Amino acid sequence: MGGVSTAIDITLNSLVLGGVFLIVAIGLNIIYGLSRVMNLAHGSLYALGAYSGYTLVSTGLNFFVALLLAPLLVGVAGLLIERTVIAPMRSRSIVYTLILTYGLMFFIDGLIKYTWGNEPRFIDLPAFMRETLPILGTHYPVFRLMTLLITAVVMAGLMLFLSRTKTGMTLRASSTIPEMVSCLGVNMKYVHIGAFVLGSVLAGIAGIIAGPLTTIDPIMGHEMLISSFVVIVIGGLGSLRGAVIAALLIGAVQTLAEFFITDLAMVIVYMLMAIILAIKPRGILGEGKFE
Amino acid sequence: MARKNKILDIEDIHTYYGESYVIQGLSLYVEEHEAVSILGRNGVGKTTTLRSVMGLTPPREGKIHIDGTQTTRWPAHKVSRMGVAYVPAERHIFPGLSVEENLLLAARPGRGKDAWDLEKVYRQFPILSDRRKQDGSTLSGGEQQMLAIGRALVSNPKIIILDEPSQGRSPLMVEMVTDVVRDFCVASGITLLVVEQNYRMALNVATRHYLMGTKGRIEGIATTSELREDPQIIQNHLAV
Repeated sequence: MGGVSTAIDITLNSLVLGGVFLIVAIGLNIIYGLSRVMNLAHGSLYALGAYSGYTLVSTGLNFFVALLLAPLLVGVAGLLIERTVIAPMRSRSIVYTLILTYGLMFFIDGLIKYTWGNEPRFIDLPAFMRETLPILGTHYPVFRLMTLLITAVVMAGLMLFLSRTKTGMTLRASSTIPEMVSCLGVNMKYVHIGAFVLGSVLAGIAGIIAGPLTTIDPIMGHEMLISSFVVIVIGGLGSLRGAVIAALLIGAVQTLAEFFITDLAMVIVYMLMAIILAIKPRGILGEGKFE
Repeated sequence: MARKNKILDIEDIHTYYGESYVIQGLSLYVEEHEAVSILGRNGVGKTTTLRSVMGLTPPREGKIHIDGTQTTRWPAHKVSRMGVAYVPAERHIFPGLSVEENLLLAARPGRGKDAWDLEKVYRQFPILSDRRKQDGSTLSGGEQQMLAIGRALVSNPKIIILDEPSQGRSPLMVEMVTDVVRDFCVASGITLLVVEQNYRMALNVATRHYLMGTKGRIEGIATTSELREDPQIIQNHLAV
């Protein structure tokens, strides 16, 4: 029984980790696909989500309320960033926003260190979420199951939004021929703002659900930025379906590698990326558009 | 004789692509319910003219009025909201969006019983109705042209500006597109500006023609009957 329950633990852990990668990577992908901005501060927004969640919960707020509020706060931060840093550079080369968001990453990280210090923080979960649940012959933490559920709800909501609403349609069209979208009467300024805010909110959601899974520290965003890059590069820049496949793959590889050969986990992830790119240089489903 | 309302009025525009001086002083107008063509060879600035109107490549000098409102250098979305529907030569059907979604994005309520909506587009273009759930970019070239024109019609515009609808089409397809433009745009009184090198198409849909030479210079203006009576005009104009 020990072997089977370990296998189930590893499978569930892979899904949990892959889910967090997915939400971060899709936010990054939406911003890139709609405004051709590679947001290097995306990991820092994720960290900001975790820290906001920590502060909200430690002031006595219910965890689920914090789960809604923290991403909104990160969304507001995203709005400010888009208006002050990204929008003025819209007409320039992608290099400008690359350098600016790189600087922004250090700015946010510094702000985090200044506000919360260097020592790790832990989100205080409600008692029932710290229990384990007997499932498929193993005992699995309730919080991790909740994370899976939240990931599924967020993804389903996002897919419905993109496929069923007119705003979603506009976003999909804008990721392909933005010039034609403006010829239909859409002010692309709002598409760019919407994409950045949506991406930031997603980073915030990932941050607060990842908070209790790991420790919250000032560099948590850096690792996540790298991982989500790997996910969108493997999945194909701009492809949402590709990101889903890649996130689950990276989640599984990293979980397995951490279980067996801890120190080489990230090395294996990069090797996998190199192999996939050697075979498919544009990623698994790289077409540069939303599907 | 009372002058009709000018839906589009271009006064002495000068447009650049980067440093390249593409249109060196162009004036033309299109009156309400009129169908006008710009006839010219490749590379004389026909597409740039339309892009200047849309605000995609704004002119550095000169003025553009749409239905009496000065719209020079307005961004494309504001020009569009003035009631200008642009059908680019590449058609620009959104890949990943169904035929219906392509139409929905453009749809704007119109007034009167002749107003276009999705149902009317489907009635008039049964092929689009059959394919409404299909990815728009998987349609054939001719079907995509229908969709692009349908997308212009559902926005119930004051004027449609059409860039080389015959470009790269087979003769049969050109005939079909000609019929569509004539029956749905011209016959129903929608104001039209069409840019063409294919003079047969232009003569079949428009009543007045601007003969455009290099750098957007207008070398002549003629009616369809004048051009039909003296084919030499077009011969000389379009000859390389």
